[in-house]
This record gives sequence, C-alpha cells and structure tokens, in this order.
Amino acid sequence: MTATTAKPIAVANIPREGKEEGQFSVVMRRFRRHRLAMISLVVIIVIVVLAALAPLIAPFPRDIPDLGVSSRPGLPGTLSSQGQIHLAGVDHLGRDLLTRVLFGARVSLTIAFVVVFFSEIFGVIVGALGGYFGGWFDGVSSRVVEFLLSIPTLPILLVTSSVLIKSGAQLPVPDFVTNGLARIMATTPAEANKVIVLMFILIVLGWTGAARLMRGMALTLRNQDFVESLRAMGASHWRIIFRHIIPNGIAPILVNASLGLAGIVIAEASLSFLGVGVQEPTPSWGNMLANAQSFMFQYPWLPLIPGIPLVLVTVSFNFIGDGLRDALDPRLKR
Amino acid sequence: MSAYLIRRLFQMAIVIFVVSLFMFFLFNIAPGGPLTGLQQQQRKITQEDKARIRAQYELDLYWPVRYTRWLVGWPNGPITIAGNELFANIPVGCYMEGTTATGGIECNDYVYLAEIAQVHPPERSSQGILRGDFGTSQVVQRGRPVFGLLLSRLPATLELQIPALLLALLIGIPLGIFSAIRQYSKFDYGFTTAAFVGSSMPTFFFGILFILFFSVIPSLAQEQYPWLIALPPGLQKAVRPYEITSWLPTIMPGSLVDYALHLLLPVTVLTIVNVAVWSRFLRSSMLEVLRQDYVRTARAKGLREALVVNKHALRNALIPFITVLVLYIPVLFGGAILTETVFAWPGMGRLFNEALQQSDYNVALAFIYISTILIVFATLLGDVLYAVIDPRIRYS
Repeated sequence: MTATTAKPIAVANIPREGKEEGQFSVVMRRFRRHRLAMISLVVIIVIVVLAALAPLIAPFPRDIPDLGVSSRPGLPGTLSSQGQIHLAGVDHLGRDLLTRVLFGARVSLTIAFVVVFFSEIFGVIVGALGGYFGGWFDGVSSRVVEFLLSIPTLPILLVTSSVLIKSGAQLPVPDFVTNGLARIMATTPAEANKVIVLMFILIVLGWTGAARLMRGMALTLRNQDFVESLRAMGASHWRIIFRHIIPNGIAPILVNASLGLAGIVIAEASLSFLGVGVQEPTPSWGNMLANAQSFMFQYPWLPLIPGIPLVLVTVSFNFIGDGLRDALDPRLKR
Repeated sequence: MSAYLIRRLFQMAIVIFVVSLFMFFLFNIAPGGPLTGLQQQQRKITQEDKARIRAQYELDLYWPVRYTRWLVGWPNGPITIAGNELFANIPVGCYMEGTTATGGIECNDYVYLAEIAQVHPPERSSQGILRGDFGTSQVVQRGRPVFGLLLSRLPATLELQIPALLLALLIGIPLGIFSAIRQYSKFDYGFTTAAFVGSSMPTFFFGILFILFFSVIPSLAQEQYPWLIALPPGLQKAVRPYEITSWLPTIMPGSLVDYALHLLLPVTVLTIVNVAVWSRFLRSSMLEVLRQDYVRTARAKGLREALVVNKHALRNALIPFITVLVLYIPVLFGGAILTETVFAWPGMGRLFNEALQQSDYNVALAFIYISTILIVFATLLGDVLYAVIDPRIRYS
C-alpha cells in the first residue's frame, strides 16, 4: 500500500480561438485538399447546370429528324437544312447531337439522383431499425439483404427491365409524379412511366449497400454510453434512432451514395445500350452510344460524343466519393 | 463446420427456389405474359388459333399446375394407384375461354387431369428444370433444347474468359504488389490514378474505344498509310480471307492466326478492366499486411526484403483476394454480357441478350437459373476456401 503521489498535471492555459470548428467545416476543409475531388465537384456542378438549362440553351429541337441536312450522321460543324450550324454534328436521323447530349444528361442524371436518393434513404432506415432493435426485423432484413447479394444482378436487372418495359407494366404512382418526371426529362408521360419502372427496379436492387453499412454503424452505436444516457433521460427509441444514431452513422453512407451515383449512371447507360432502358426517341447516353456503334465504321467520331460526357460524369462521381472517404475518415489526423 | 455447411446449403436451396419462382412469375404473370413475343410476330389470329398456340405453350393450364410441371414435370396424368385413376376429373386448365351472357369470363372447354397425357404428351413437355430439362428454345433456334444451346455457346465464352483471367492475374498481382511496396513513389501515384480511372469507366465504352482506335481508325487510314494494323472489330472468326495490314500475308478464316486476331481486342478490354479492379484491391490488402507486426519482426530478424515480401507478406495479402477471385467463376461461365455484345462475340452472354431481345424466355430463364446456381456455389466455395486457407477463421 504505497501512497502514490500523482505528479501535478500542468493545466496549460489554452487560449480559445473563437468558436470551435464544427464537424461539417472540418470535413469540408479536408475535402478541399483533394485537388482531384474538387475538380470533379466543379465538373459535376457544371454538367448539372448545363443539363438543367438544357431547354433554354439547346439550339435545336430534340426529337425532330432533319432529313435535309447535308450528311447524316454529320461532322461537328455540319450545317442544317436551314443553314444553322450544328456544334456537335448530327446523328443518323439528322438530329442535333449537342441538344441530345444535353437532354440525355437530364435523363441520366435525374435517374441517378432519384435512384440513389431513395435507395439510400430506404437502406438507411432498414439498416438502422434492424441494427438498433435487433429481433425478428433484423433477422428478416438480413436474410433479404443476403438474398439480394447472392443473385446475379445484371442478368436479373436485364430480364426484369425487358419484361416489364416490353409488356408496358405501370407502377401506381400519383399523376403529379409522372407528369413532373415527364417535364424534367422532356418526354411523354408514357415514357416517364417506363422510366419510373426502371428506377423502381434499380432501387429494389440497390438499397442493400446502405442497409449493411447503416446496420453495422447502428450495432456499434447502440452500445455506446450516450445512448444509454439518452434512454435514462427518457428519450424514445425513435428519437434516438433518427436524431442520434442515423446522423452519427451517415458518413459511410455519403461515400456509398457518391459511388452509387456513378454506379447507377453506368447501370442505366448499360441498360439503355442493350435496348432495355430508356427507349427511343428519348435520348440517354446509353442508347445514343448504341446508335453510334452501328455507324461507327464510317463515322468514327460518333461514339465519342455521348461517351466523353459519360466517362466524365462517372469518373468525377468516383473521385468525389474517394475524396469524401478520405475527408470523413476518422483515423486520419487533421 | 459441418453445421455451417448444412445451414449454407439450406440457404442456397432457398435462394435458388425463390429466384426460380420470381422468374416464373415475371414471365407468366406480367401483363402480356409469355405470348408477348408471339404477338410481336403475328397480327391476325382467330380464337381457335390463339387457343391452339396457348395450348402449345401449356398456357391453357392453371398456373400452379404449370409451375409444378415446369419445376419437376408433374402432374402428367392422373395418379394411378393399384390400377385406379384418382383425381381424374379435376379441371387443371381451360382450353378456350368465352364470355357469359352477363359479360363475365367462363371456361368453355376445361382440361381435365386425365386428359393431360393426351393434350400435353410427355415427349413434348419438359421434365422439369430440377431434372435439367429447360425446354426448347422458341425463337433463337427454334426447337433446339435450351441446355444444348447453352452448352454450344460455352466454349466461345471460355475461350474469351480464360485468357483474360490468366492475363489479368499475371499482370494485376505484380502491379498491385509493386505499387504497395513502393508506396508514395511516382509509380504508385500514377498507377493508382490509372487504376482508378480504369475501374470507374463503363466497360462497354472501353470496348467501343478500343474498337475505334484499333480497328475503325486504322482501317479508315489504311488508304493513306497501308502499314497500319487494323484488327477485326468483332465476331470470333472471319468468313472470308482478309488482310489486316500491307506487310502481313492474307489471313485465312478458321486459321489459328485468325482466331488469335479476333481474340486480341476483347481479351485486352477484359484484362484491363480486371487488372484495374484487382490490382487496387491487392494494393490495399498488401498495404495493410505490410503494416503488421509480423512483417516488422521478419525485417528485424534480418531477412532479405524479397523474402519478407514474397514469402510472408504476399501470402497473407492474397487471402482476401481469394474471395474476389472465386466470385469471378460465375462471370467465367456466364460471360461478360456487355463485352460480348459490343464485340459481337458468340458466347453465352450475347445469347442471353439475343434471347431477351427476341422474347425467347426459355433461354433467358435457363441462363438466369444457371447464373444463380453458379454465384451461390461460388460464394459458398469462397467462404469455405477462406476458412481452409486462413487458420484464424473458424465457422461455428
């Protein structure tokens, strides 16, 4: 029994430098250090703005074939039958490619954002509830996630889109959703319905990533002391989940969402390329690429016109996700 | 371990069963049904013709009966016990529907259990997918058994996938390891950026780019520069003799050189995509291993760096890679659908795509069924191998 004399701890007089830095600004500062991620963010913002302004800045009508143009498909710089210049050339029906690329950006980006938004929300809720409560809900949802992970995604995606879109199945969504989507994508409500079916299929197959991540975070977080003290203070389970657990576990979800955006853009482009996604005449970068491949042998520049924006968008989303992952990593020192 | 295996096998059976159920319902219950493909081809059919064609596809039977017949080929007649036919008069289908006076739908001509053997003779109906009989293809190659059709396309897919797999392993593993050893060097930065871009691009666009640069542009420029090499842009072999460049002799279709030239572009695309993904994975795995204490111990013992890396670090870094590699088996057999379509390669992936375009659902169903079985077995194999290789992993 020795009397341990504790050494006096020198309490340094740490001057307070104004407000403490919030978590958001820490993350933003670390994100800004990634040059590639910042460049990619700028690229995405530029493309989104251009796509949003498409109806205003598009020089030509999107769907009307112009059979009088000098060559179909035509080089960038071809003149239309009225003498206007086509900045990106024309496709095999004489439609202006720049207009179609801009509108195709609307279609692809709309589908990507909507699908990722809903699939992440659904996955977060299912994962948080399952991780926090455990019990039968966790058991069922884990089995469903395991099942969805053990099926071949691309074949099933292809088959489901092909069957549902060919047979004209429609989801019971309220009219304002269909009409709103039709306005955004500048297409008919019938085509918008098909896109809704496509988005539904992508959401159903895509929510598993967020659910697994959130479930892991919820399992870790629910054993922490602050949750116990919240319960002691009388907070309800729902308040704990939605006000504390989900916000604390959101970091890997954001990274997953960014990578998911890239993945959905590629998935939709692949489906449209194979003919089971967005149908003609609505332009999507995928079906523009499919058309271009047929004419590639005499007009080799044609696939590059929808392809380069596609590569830019997917690589940028991936860089942003990578930058977010590094910025949100708690193991890295400031 | 055996309890784990039994549990896993049970789960696998459930997955395969649920997938087959889902596919069956998708094709049969979705609006339009399995006759959508037919209605794409013909316009005017009478009621009797329609009933006859429906009977041909066994659509006159009710769907539970159809499902069990599709699955195991039963029932195909009344149950005969000791010479007595039981349940012979149960209606199991409706041959021709009609409308009642009040406008409802009623059946004019029921199909009874006793009649199944006559109306759907066993020689013409399938014995069920659980016995390996996937029916016959309706559109792609009419009348040909689906299983035979799939098997005939398998060699083409394997011819494409196996060289791509070997090359990707030979190139990707050393690249990933080297990049991890020389972390923060210029090689590492360059490599990680290139691998990142390569793994984030869509593969079919990669294929199109390659066709553009190695086939289309050289063949267009060959008028001015005949020494350029223009590789064939697709298919497995040519149909007539061709020349790829002025300083090489004419190439005969069916020769080894012909096959090799047609393989070159698709294998390169597949290899590059796989190298990009696998080498990044290996790099991060190797980096984690190199930080471990036992590596530091090995170096402190004075071992040569090459020995430390190749014998101690590499083996441990490859362990998680096994699971990635094992999950490639379904792709090996199922083919890369997009790449085969872009290069018009006559493999299983392109067959699936064609079947889907032409609504040949027997072929598409069989393909998905086989893909699911392969994925499920590959996952199980990966987990078992993981436990075998890594003595730290034990399944309860």
